[in-house]
Amino acid sequence: MEEGLATGQDQVYASGHRERSIAGRKILFDASGFLLNADDWSEELAEILARENGMGPLDDSRWKVVHFLRDYYRRCGRPPSNHELKEGTGFSLMILESLFPGGVRGTARLLAGLPNPRTCL
Amino acid sequence: MNFPKKIIYLDNAATTFPKPREVLAEMIETYSSLGVSPGRGSYDLGLEAEAFVEGVRARLCEFFGGDDPRRVIFGYNATDALNTLILGLVKPGCHVVSSRLEHNSVLRPLHHLLERGVIRLDLVAGDEKGFIDPADVDRAIRHETCLVVLTHASNVLGTVQPAAEIGAVCRKKGVPLALDVTQSAGLVPIDMAGWHVSALAFTGHKSLLGPTGIGGLVLAGERLDISTTRFGGTGVESRNLLHTQTYPHRLEAGTINLLGVAGLSASLRYIGREGMKNIYSREMDLFRRLYDGLKSNPRIRLYGTESMDNRLPLLSCNIEGTNPQDVSDILDGDFGIATRAGLHCAPLVHEFMGSAAKGAVRFSIGPFNTLEEIDSACQAMNDIAEFRRSA
Repeated sequence: MEEGLATGQDQVYASGHRERSIAGRKILFDASGFLLNADDWSEELAEILARENGMGPLDDSRWKVVHFLRDYYRRCGRPPSNHELKEGTGFSLMILESLFPGGVRGTARLLAGLPNPRTCL
Repeated sequence: MNFPKKIIYLDNAATTFPKPREVLAEMIETYSSLGVSPGRGSYDLGLEAEAFVEGVRARLCEFFGGDDPRRVIFGYNATDALNTLILGLVKPGCHVVSSRLEHNSVLRPLHHLLERGVIRLDLVAGDEKGFIDPADVDRAIRHETCLVVLTHASNVLGTVQPAAEIGAVCRKKGVPLALDVTQSAGLVPIDMAGWHVSALAFTGHKSLLGPTGIGGLVLAGERLDISTTRFGGTGVESRNLLHTQTYPHRLEAGTINLLGVAGLSASLRYIGREGMKNIYSREMDLFRRLYDGLKSNPRIRLYGTESMDNRLPLLSCNIEGTNPQDVSDILDGDFGIATRAGLHCAPLVHEFMGSAAKGAVRFSIGPFNTLEEIDSACQAMNDIAEFRRSA
């Protein structure tokens, strides 16, 4: 583990990774807030992250997406493609992107505890 | 992974897809009969493979208006060629002129050298339409400038730069001009000698319609010498423990990508047969349709020049209030349309476009797109814009 700088209850590392104390557990996130270890995920954590991302309590549609993402990732070792996501959830991409303020990549995957997606930014 | 059977592929500025069937067939045929190490063994097949490679060097030299096929150097792609060029040419204390329109294949080697204190660097800004003014290049050149390196065509805006005029400026000032023709090669004529271009970097997998993994550098006659930055086997002067200084092997270490060279050979033949002017003209007809279709929606913002002159068939745009990555994912998932979202490895272009935070969606047309596909893309963008407006 890198040596961290304390900021309140969080530890911020030179890599930008952040260790946070949430619900009595120490959990490591990357610089963009994505979980570094998918096993740290819980429904309680997803709700906390949703609030932090400007969302209210997750409704059935959003839970459906989050659980599909997690199940798929566990089975296949990678996130689903756009077409698999559409087929697996029954939602169009247009609906899916509108369910989460940062879209599927930016928010749904974060809430589901999947790794930070590669983007050309 | 289950891909849809048919997609509308509009990411041709990244890699043209699909490739002409003739090109793929000829690649396999050539590799099946000649796929040995060129220029290594003295057996007939090895010599024949070497002669084939030399023939492709000569054709590329002619294609780009170069003057010495021995100075056509093969590499993996344009990024590889630009690294070979920049790292091999620039010496400590050099001043380099480039532009804010560049791809990271130019910006990153230069900034790597800048950060290490090896060079000084000035980046010429394009105008709001995405064109470089040769007078700005003239003003940026100093006494100690050792290289001007510029993109021939922006991979974000599609604007084709006035290379002949910039070449005249560089010639007047006695500074070598290196041109990155990644996007333009295969679509617009390139004349190294006529434009006074000292070096150009190309890749095979875009509008040259060849495979990935092959590209290179073309150097003009005796005007420019590049130091060797990678060393190894060449098949010549094996007793010498230092790398040969004879072109092209001076800048080629290890066995070259013969399958890729075979692809380039076939794709040059294909372009010659179809006619580069015809390919460009056809793609631009489709592009006009795309441009007009998107432009008619006030919620879609198009970046860069509105002119159809001096441009390639690609554009970048955004739907008001919508993340371009979301748009690209929707186009893919709901409409089966492949586009490229983000900064397109050209962050400084997006800075002056005002799209640096999220980037933009890029549409780029290739030789196998159809009018129906373009109309579908316009309709899809209108549908997304309308959905977002009403959401």
